[in-house]
Amino acid sequence: MNHGFEKRMSRRALLQSTATAGILASDMTLLDVLQQRLLAEEVRQQSKRVILLWLAGGASQLETWDPKPGRPTGGPFRAISTSVPGIHISELLPRMAQRLGDTAIIRSLNTKVADHGTGATIMTTGRVPEPGIDFPDLGATVAHELGRVDSKVPHYVSMYTATEGRRKGGPGFLGSRVGPMFLTDSLMPANLQRPEIITEIDHQDRAQLRGFLAAEFAKRHASPAVNSHNSAYDRVRGLMSSESLFDVSREPQALRDKYGPTQFGEQCLVARRLVEAGVPFVKVARAWWDSHGQNFETHQELCADLDHVMSALLDDLAERGLLEQTLVVTLSEFGRTPQINGSLGRDHFASAWSCTLSGCGIRGGSVYGKTDEDGRKVIEDEIWAGHLFATIFRAIGIDWKKEYMYGARPVPITDFHCAPIDEVLA
Amino acid sequence: MKITREKNLSTPDILFSVARETGASLIYAGSSDAGVQAWDLDAEKPVRQDFAEKRHTSYVTGVFARPGQLISGAYDGTLCWWDLNAKTVQRSISAHSKWIRRIALSPDRSLVASVADDMVGKLWNAETGELVRTFEGHAQQTPHHYPSMLYATAWSPDGQYLATVDKTGIILVWQVATGELARKLEAPVMYTWDPRARRHSIGGIRSVCFSPDGKLLVVGGMGKVGNIDHLEGHARVEIFDWQQETRLHEIESTKFKGLVEKIEFHPHDNWCLAVGGDHKGFLMGINTATGELFLEEGHDTHIHDFLLDHERQQLITGGHNRLSTWSWSS
Repeated sequence: MNHGFEKRMSRRALLQSTATAGILASDMTLLDVLQQRLLAEEVRQQSKRVILLWLAGGASQLETWDPKPGRPTGGPFRAISTSVPGIHISELLPRMAQRLGDTAIIRSLNTKVADHGTGATIMTTGRVPEPGIDFPDLGATVAHELGRVDSKVPHYVSMYTATEGRRKGGPGFLGSRVGPMFLTDSLMPANLQRPEIITEIDHQDRAQLRGFLAAEFAKRHASPAVNSHNSAYDRVRGLMSSESLFDVSREPQALRDKYGPTQFGEQCLVARRLVEAGVPFVKVARAWWDSHGQNFETHQELCADLDHVMSALLDDLAERGLLEQTLVVTLSEFGRTPQINGSLGRDHFASAWSCTLSGCGIRGGSVYGKTDEDGRKVIEDEIWAGHLFATIFRAIGIDWKKEYMYGARPVPITDFHCAPIDEVLA
Repeated sequence: MKITREKNLSTPDILFSVARETGASLIYAGSSDAGVQAWDLDAEKPVRQDFAEKRHTSYVTGVFARPGQLISGAYDGTLCWWDLNAKTVQRSISAHSKWIRRIALSPDRSLVASVADDMVGKLWNAETGELVRTFEGHAQQTPHHYPSMLYATAWSPDGQYLATVDKTGIILVWQVATGELARKLEAPVMYTWDPRARRHSIGGIRSVCFSPDGKLLVVGGMGKVGNIDHLEGHARVEIFDWQQETRLHEIESTKFKGLVEKIEFHPHDNWCLAVGGDHKGFLMGINTATGELFLEEGHDTHIHDFLLDHERQQLITGGHNRLSTWSWSS
């Protein structure tokens, strides 16, 4: 084994470790390199992860994080007290109510656009779409900033098994390397397994031969294109070896029971396995909250799922020491109207709605923003998608003022005039 | 049969239940403002009068009037007994751990049945408020691991049987005297689980009643739904010979979509009236001998409950922002 490879492997182990200090103490070589400030910052950033729970279709803020009991718009549910004195949330989230110590609630999103397509684009890219430029979504940006070129695991995994409102999202101008591995039909990525007609030995031999030929070719024709070509092979082999990450049967039954029997539960357990293995960004979409009819019954089902699974996920991350490094976000394309329609439904509403941030970099037990007594408008600390994205970037150590270059045009990573919400940051 | 709307009164609330003392002019309504309200429908311009005391904390989904007394049930899980003269609460009972969906008085008015999302049916002494019996047999969860709901209940005319119906299309008929299960029927079409596009459910059996001779059991809801974001299934009624466990008729309106929220038989005839709606409302007359839909009348908002006053030849409907009176003629 050559020295370079050994060094690279040690660094990878370091980056994947949650006990960085212990490894540092045992490896003076690494201590030397960490004296380089930029690399230290890279290490700090790269241990951060994001799990986005995408409540597709538009969850009701009134039945989740911003209840208005007793008001004509409030619906039939009670508000319940939480583990944080003074904060109340809907009775549909009893488990989360006992876990608000790690979670910040933002109740003052005004994103203005209340149609699914544009709303989803705004809330996944953090800005209004513009003709002529394809903005990266949150997952791609986080993957770009936190993913490592030599990573053997995917940078960005997105699970969306329902068909309604399914949008792949993507890397935009950042390029396909940080695009999502998009799982739509099963927990297991398709075509990841080695074909049965090829033995493992054959597989390894072929890789070695290809590697030898590629290296010889690169000696004579060194270029970014050649390097990219070779790294693509490395990534494919890495993905093939990460097949087990998607296999929840490898988890103890007791833990699987905690996540519950639903598909969303299994997907979130996979998400935990992925971030534990170093995947920077995992999106789990739970559709479909678009409750124009029977809003309250729909939320009884979907909130039961969200409450059970999200609380299990936060507990699991905390017990593994991963919550400090993992930001869990609940977000939709918009919220739902305070007005209750004739079908006991709520319609699209983007003027005053809620989301949550839990874990990494977040001041748990905080509430930011306020809506009026009927939830019809924001009356304190109104924010836009860009503020939320800046807050997410800051929480996970990404420079929210950073700019990308799209051709000759500088494109700020955060939308114009937006800054992090200090009040919800640790 | 012809039906004509006479009064259409607006209210900012959603009226889930209506009741009237026999022969009286006042209508009592259970409301989304967690209150009970009275309307004098004989007045030239009926005005809503709220009961000053507010004991419920959520939607009031069931009201029944007895002489001088009103019994109400609500999503807060409580049953209240009201003195109609003083309009104050005489008794309040924490009856269920989840939403009370409907209450029903026994034919002799001595017992109150309540059904709730804790999936338990309960019988209460209408005089004393004592718990008489519980009926447990509906599954707590849907087959897809989500909370189920117990929507409606009805007494047989002889008071010997009680029917309870749930979200997944299960109909249980109980022997009141013993609490034993007498029959189990199913109307699965009324429950739609979308496993692919939206991954949740909608529907359920929302209404139930026995025929005057006790032989038929009629249930209402809506048919299978494509886009479960909306109440877009066709209004649906199924008629059973419940003792023979035989489905006699399946009726779906081609004109109206939405849930059938309440069904009641004419006391001396072989037809029943079914009401409900999606964003708008409907009233349907059904010949239960033939399964024929002989009346389909629209309404401007969703109807949640009605009562037939045969002495007055009057129908009163309560629903989304509306209290309405109707007359009918054969």
